[in-house]
Amino acid sequence: MSAISDIAAELADDARTAAMAPVESVKDARYTLEGIREGRVSPATVLKTAGITLGAAVVVALLLFPLYWVAVGAFSGTGASLYSSSGIRLWPADPTIEPFLWVIGDLIVPSYRISLGLGGYEVFLQTPELTFLDVSQYGVTETSEFKRFFANSLTVAIPTVILAMCLIVPSAYALSRRQFIGRSKVLYGYVLFTQIGGGLGVALLIALYALFVQFGFNDSKLALSAYYAATAVPFNTWLLKTYMDGIPVSYEEAAMMDGAPSWKIVTEIILPLSKAGLATVFIFTFLTGWTEFVVAQTLLSTDNYTLPVGLYSLVGRYSIPWARFSAFALTFAAPIMLIYLFAQRYIEGGLSFGGMEG
Amino acid sequence: MSVVDSAVERVADSPVVSKDDLPLLLVLPGLFVFLAFMLFPVLYLVYLSFTNAEPATLFQGKEQWVGLANYATVLSDGQFWNSMGVTWLFVATSVALKVLVGLGIGLVVTGNRVRGKRFMRALIIIPLGLPGIFTITIWRGIFSSAEFGLANQFLRMAGLDSIAWLSERWMAFLAYNVTEAWLAYPFMVIITVSALQDVSEELHEAAMIDGAGFFARFLHVTLPSIKRPVLFASILTAAASFQQFLIPYVFNQGGPSRTNELLIVYGYREAFRFQKYGEGAAIMLVAVAVIGVFMMLNVKKGQLAEGVDDA
Repeated sequence: MSAISDIAAELADDARTAAMAPVESVKDARYTLEGIREGRVSPATVLKTAGITLGAAVVVALLLFPLYWVAVGAFSGTGASLYSSSGIRLWPADPTIEPFLWVIGDLIVPSYRISLGLGGYEVFLQTPELTFLDVSQYGVTETSEFKRFFANSLTVAIPTVILAMCLIVPSAYALSRRQFIGRSKVLYGYVLFTQIGGGLGVALLIALYALFVQFGFNDSKLALSAYYAATAVPFNTWLLKTYMDGIPVSYEEAAMMDGAPSWKIVTEIILPLSKAGLATVFIFTFLTGWTEFVVAQTLLSTDNYTLPVGLYSLVGRYSIPWARFSAFALTFAAPIMLIYLFAQRYIEGGLSFGGMEG
Repeated sequence: MSVVDSAVERVADSPVVSKDDLPLLLVLPGLFVFLAFMLFPVLYLVYLSFTNAEPATLFQGKEQWVGLANYATVLSDGQFWNSMGVTWLFVATSVALKVLVGLGIGLVVTGNRVRGKRFMRALIIIPLGLPGIFTITIWRGIFSSAEFGLANQFLRMAGLDSIAWLSERWMAFLAYNVTEAWLAYPFMVIITVSALQDVSEELHEAAMIDGAGFFARFLHVTLPSIKRPVLFASILTAAASFQQFLIPYVFNQGGPSRTNELLIVYGYREAFRFQKYGEGAAIMLVAVAVIGVFMMLNVKKGQLAEGVDDA
């Protein structure tokens, strides 16, 4: 699994850079101080720099304040009033993880009784009950439906990924490496759809709903997966195609000289070399199904709600305190955010994100 | 030579599809599924817009052809023109806000005197990775009238009265704008920052030697050099604003009393809340046509699909 070790190496690299940042800035500061003492740098310049940097930091903090507010809300049992009669509080008065316990609920694998008939005898095997987390011990009696939504989301997202990968990978290879009739038309259509087609989903919803009902597909998670896979095709095909364009053709030529058949060139050269691109496409198609709201809400019934629809169903239910809502929202969004930020580096080459470096 | 063989040979010899086009087979499944879920519903939507389809009739197959009646009803409906007006107003105000915010933040995180720029930029684009429904439900909480509502907490801190954000028309509209700006700022910042980094240092230095101050340099050096990419980002983000659905839907269903229904919300509610599939379809198609014309004009002018030809 060299892909995983590559990723681990990059993460370690990131961690090292982050850990070294304070050391570097202390070095910087010491150098500046020396400069002031020796009269090379004027104190006014240093003050100006410090002031402007502080201003920029305040801007960044203000922008991210809503996220901080949600986090504080989730950890305070009452629901995050930063402002109270006693003044402004930027930290929950008595932090608690109760809201998160409400979200996750019990993690208990019930015991199963497995029986085997062996020549007239019956043998019972009783598996022990595995208790990872029993929230009633912490005074949380009722819990959210997070686990059911989570299971529904998984049953939508996994077929989405499988189907989408089957459609995207061959297309991307053909578009990147072969010439054929209509190639540029397909590419042009995909790019155009990627850039302007985002909102088309809602506009088409009426027709989509009517068709799904008539075919008897409404409330079918598998049909929803197929729809998600279809919407994921243009962007991800383009992305993977761009990634494959970066693999030097000379590798293939060398393999061809050695007499490798073209399927072998694909499995031995193209696919292994585009694993980062494949990982990105994998993540994106997974997130398509995992985060989509409008279509899922229209097509699915209450029993089949996925996580985004479940989150929305909590909005405006006054019986649910804000703290619990925040905890639910964070449990849903935090892992996605981490995955997305990690995937970000891989798409830099394909899209115009390159400017963020340096 | 049998008939089949000769047919195969003729296909192989035909100028339209040749043996070299076999890779087309790799692309077709994806294209087929995509079109089945995109193009087919579009055609069906067009059909629906010419019928009096309602759930009661449609699912029995009893919908009737009514010609252009739906379009006539919609285009003579005051509610539609209100939606159209609010939508374009929203496009104008939110794009202006997004460009200003993006430019402002972009300037801050590329400033010469700012230390730790890369770190700040990494932090600032975090919201890009958040699912839309998460961000929007959170912002609904911010503008909530309940005790925890953050916007009202700030007002109280400043010694002002609370505002019922989501039940007053223009306050709700303002809330949409702020949320839209927050949703879109990472994208705007990314584009602006990469444009700002391409601004020529020499021009700046030359202007400085000529005695130009910060604002003069911004106006005459920076702005002209970043105009194109920022314009490009504005066009894309204008399309996103025009198609905005989730913010009004989650905040107050386009309320209060249907005053803030952006076009897509209006069509959605006509269809699913008031059961008029035919009219809803007509509204959606008008919306798609408007955005289509708008984008076509911009593609012609701004070359949005650049890079396909040299790919």
